[in-house]
Amino acid sequence: MAQWKRNLRGEMWYLLFLLPGVLLFVMAVLVPLVTGARYSFTDWDGISPKLHYTGWENYANAFRDSDVWDALGNTFRYAIVVTIIVNILSLFLALLLDNYLKFRNGFRTIFFLPGVISTVLSGFIWSYNYSQGFPNLLRHFGLDVTSPLGNPDYAMLGLVIIAVWQGVGSPMIIYIAGLQGVPGELIESARMDGAGALRIFRSVKLPLLAPSVTINLLLVLTGSLKVFDLVYVTTNGGPGFATEVIATSIYKTSFANYKAGYGMALSMIFFLILVIVTIVQVAVFRRREVEM
Amino acid sequence: MRPTRVLAFAFVALLAIVFLFPLYVALLMSLKTAQQTFQSFYALPPGLNLSNFVSAWQTSHYPTAIVNSLIVTAISVALIVFASALAGYAIARRNKPFYNLIFVLFLSGMMVPFQVTMLPLYKLGKSLHLINTHWGITLVYGGMGVQMGVLFYTGFVKGISREIEEAARIDGCSTPGIFARIVLPLLKPVTATVLVLNALYIWNDFLLPLLYLQDKQYRTIPLQQYFFFGQYSSDLNLAFAYAVMGMIPIVAFFLFMQRFIIKGIAAGAVKG
Repeated sequence: MAQWKRNLRGEMWYLLFLLPGVLLFVMAVLVPLVTGARYSFTDWDGISPKLHYTGWENYANAFRDSDVWDALGNTFRYAIVVTIIVNILSLFLALLLDNYLKFRNGFRTIFFLPGVISTVLSGFIWSYNYSQGFPNLLRHFGLDVTSPLGNPDYAMLGLVIIAVWQGVGSPMIIYIAGLQGVPGELIESARMDGAGALRIFRSVKLPLLAPSVTINLLLVLTGSLKVFDLVYVTTNGGPGFATEVIATSIYKTSFANYKAGYGMALSMIFFLILVIVTIVQVAVFRRREVEM
Repeated sequence: MRPTRVLAFAFVALLAIVFLFPLYVALLMSLKTAQQTFQSFYALPPGLNLSNFVSAWQTSHYPTAIVNSLIVTAISVALIVFASALAGYAIARRNKPFYNLIFVLFLSGMMVPFQVTMLPLYKLGKSLHLINTHWGITLVYGGMGVQMGVLFYTGFVKGISREIEEAARIDGCSTPGIFARIVLPLLKPVTATVLVLNALYIWNDFLLPLLYLQDKQYRTIPLQQYFFFGQYSSDLNLAFAYAVMGMIPIVAFFLFMQRFIIKGIAAGAVKG
């Protein structure tokens, strides 16, 4: 009995240690997740105390809602393009800035800098540059351009450019860290065997960088699928429906259109999509990694 | 230098100029008057004229916003460090099913996008009177940040040898004593990582303040900027002065903490 009591007292401290974290987590994530899942089966408008359970109706409606499919299409187009460009550019910069160039620390700082500014700011700065700055500059070269954000065909491209500008910093750092883990002997022996820079990259560095590639693709892709701030502060989904993404569409449905139940169903679907994307991606890329 | 090196340097330098260009335009705008901008867009201003900054300071509630941002960020980060260091230590040292279950729970929580919890959180905040208070939003940030924090701390503590702790226990030191006197000082590197990554995120966050801190008196910098830009869209030079003022604290933070930020990001990638 005394032994048992002593064990309990020992365990008690550890359980107490868990408590603040678990409480915060339950309040900020778990409870909202569960209540949100419940709302997704109702016709709640977000304000009134009354709500009716409607079963799977919201989910069925979501499947038939062409706006939802358009927003999903936009989101994936945006996210895939951003993921590819950001990863290619940041890998390229990492290779050049790993141990190659003069002033490489200064360059790293410059490429990382846009990433620390809030999206509200960068959205504002870029909107202005698109509408005034670049046209004024390009006029000297005889080019007449207008802001891509105002043109339905180019608005998404305009957002992609801002996202790349803000997004290359972190993946670049992760690639540089990965490159520093590549043993120098391997590169040296490949060079002695007569391999050129390109060959060394393809046959030595890239296979050993696979874990960094996996994590970067995953982080950038899931991050871009969740894009909200950038769209909300620059185009707010417009012009027309050209840049409406799933996150802004959920926000509008829930808060502006008073269809909270439907908005929650959309966000549960979104959650499911994110989980599937994560699992598939990790499974596909983990298999390609090589063991050191 | 070999020609490929020169080429690579030229390419990187050019790209760096392209990256800095939008910021240069922002700075240029903030130092010129509307008249000067109209006459010549890219010309440097004739002298250093800070009048835009003075009037932006007077009209924008900048001091209030910066105090709000500081309070919210500091308390949230402190809460995250406190809760996740304790929980991470417990999970790492009690390698039992119950603790591992909690760990997995935290991990799976990281996949939940904010859009899912946004509306229920707003409703919860309203019914508990958390909206338009500093502490309400810090609790939510705490809950969101603790997931990644626990991941970092658990991994780090697992790498620390238990021998000193066991010796201290034999000498009669209690669990909290061991944590406070022996473990806590060893956690400095991982604490720096958790601290800077969360501080950057919370300082720049827009959506949660948009829901929780609508009242003028409580707005953080990004939110205050959002409303200011909407209001002063005709006086762009003033708006840009405000934009530059908003950039200064975070850019300074980045430049001073760069080493930790870069280490933190690299460490985060290994953990994932």
